[in-house]
Amino acid sequence: MDFKSDGFMYMLGFGVVAFILFQSIFFIVRAWKRAKELGISTSSLKKTVVSSALFTVAPALAIVATVLTLSGALGTVLPWIRLTVIGAISYEVPAATSAIEAFGGTGGLSAEITDPTVFATIAWVMTLGSILPLFLIPFLLKKIQSKVGKVASNNQKWADTMAAAAFIGLIAAFIGKAVMGKGDKAVKGDGAGVLSLVTLISSMLYMLIFQLIVKKGNIKWLEPFAMPLSMILAMGTAVLAAQLLPESVAYFEWRG
Amino acid sequence: MKSYNDRTHLFGRIWDVIAIVVLLSIPILISNHLGVHPEVKYILKGLGPVAALFYPTAVIEIITYTPMLGAGATYLSFVTGNITNLKMPCGLNALENNNVSITSDEGEVIATIAVGVSAIVTTVIIAVGVVAFTPILPKITQSPVLAPAFQQVTTALFGALGISYFMKHWRISIIPVATIILVLLFAGTLGVGVLIPVGVVVSLVSAHLLFKAGKA
Repeated sequence: MDFKSDGFMYMLGFGVVAFILFQSIFFIVRAWKRAKELGISTSSLKKTVVSSALFTVAPALAIVATVLTLSGALGTVLPWIRLTVIGAISYEVPAATSAIEAFGGTGGLSAEITDPTVFATIAWVMTLGSILPLFLIPFLLKKIQSKVGKVASNNQKWADTMAAAAFIGLIAAFIGKAVMGKGDKAVKGDGAGVLSLVTLISSMLYMLIFQLIVKKGNIKWLEPFAMPLSMILAMGTAVLAAQLLPESVAYFEWRG
Repeated sequence: MKSYNDRTHLFGRIWDVIAIVVLLSIPILISNHLGVHPEVKYILKGLGPVAALFYPTAVIEIITYTPMLGAGATYLSFVTGNITNLKMPCGLNALENNNVSITSDEGEVIATIAVGVSAIVTTVIIAVGVVAFTPILPKITQSPVLAPAFQQVTTALFGALGISYFMKHWRISIIPVATIILVLLFAGTLGVGVLIPVGVVVSLVSAHLLFKAGKA
């Protein structure tokens, strides 16, 4: 049996899954009790749960796709573990590639890893490269939070504006990429172009339409579904555009 | 008696230490199981370029995300990962739906619940995906017909999330969006790891100035 996907590796994977589930449930239970003390209604909390779960489905499927793209070289279990703890695609690929290069390999993840030493080295590099936040957070988080808290309590309106501004800064990075980002020349449809703009505009329009329906029709239950539904419909629109438009138009990327 | 927030930090730190142990045990157990012990020089050689890029990013991420997510959600997010593409937008969506700010007690618990649920759903979907659907998943995620959908997942996510913020705070949205587009015009390949800190700093500074001028 392939050493990358044997019973031991699966056992490790399930161990990590159990750890994440325990930790998440622990924090949710504490927050839930606190929410009740603060007078937040059960229906609001339930809506938050449903909306967050729905919201997560599409990006989680994209993560599964990431696991699969890495699985050709690394098997499915190591990418699964890595993307369950701390992982992110933007980090895992360079980490694995760099580890392969340390042994003189130049093809990156294009070929299957068959040498257990290289495989173990990849596991080490992926782990050590991503572990730093866990060492920093116990020291930094409380300090940052208390500073933010002090400023916020002095001027609530300013603090709310700044919190919104920080979110907008983050969102702007992704919107900017969809409008003006360059992709990899070898990859079709990864840069800013017709497909990214169609998706961006349609997701915004769907969201506005849902918000209008919620407001005008007073359909409160629809509110938590607005965001995930807009997202999935926009992804569907991207598929439609790719199918209906001529390929040269649909996959046109103005930045290459 | 310790406040809810103090206890969140206490428990967060305990879970953080456990996470370090769990994380480090993975390569140790894999090495032992395979009976190989990679030389430190190879590990360091592989780690060098990755650390040079991702260690500074890690510091920036903590400083940037902590005020946006609150304590509980930050402890959870940094252990479970996929922050920018999933945990952060999920937390923002929940705050927006409940009409609460992260600086409030209500915002803290709502963000924690949202990120916790997101972590559970992600973990379950990935586990089920890997274990049960490995043979058929490539047909879904890599099918040429559905490929554009998965390629555009981040754009779809931030478009829908962004419009709510832009409509509510359009005055403070114009400068950061325009700045990022301008930056990309000259350096189109910059990753979101660089663009996020740029966007956040520009957005905070411009929003502060507009607030002072009474135009935010």
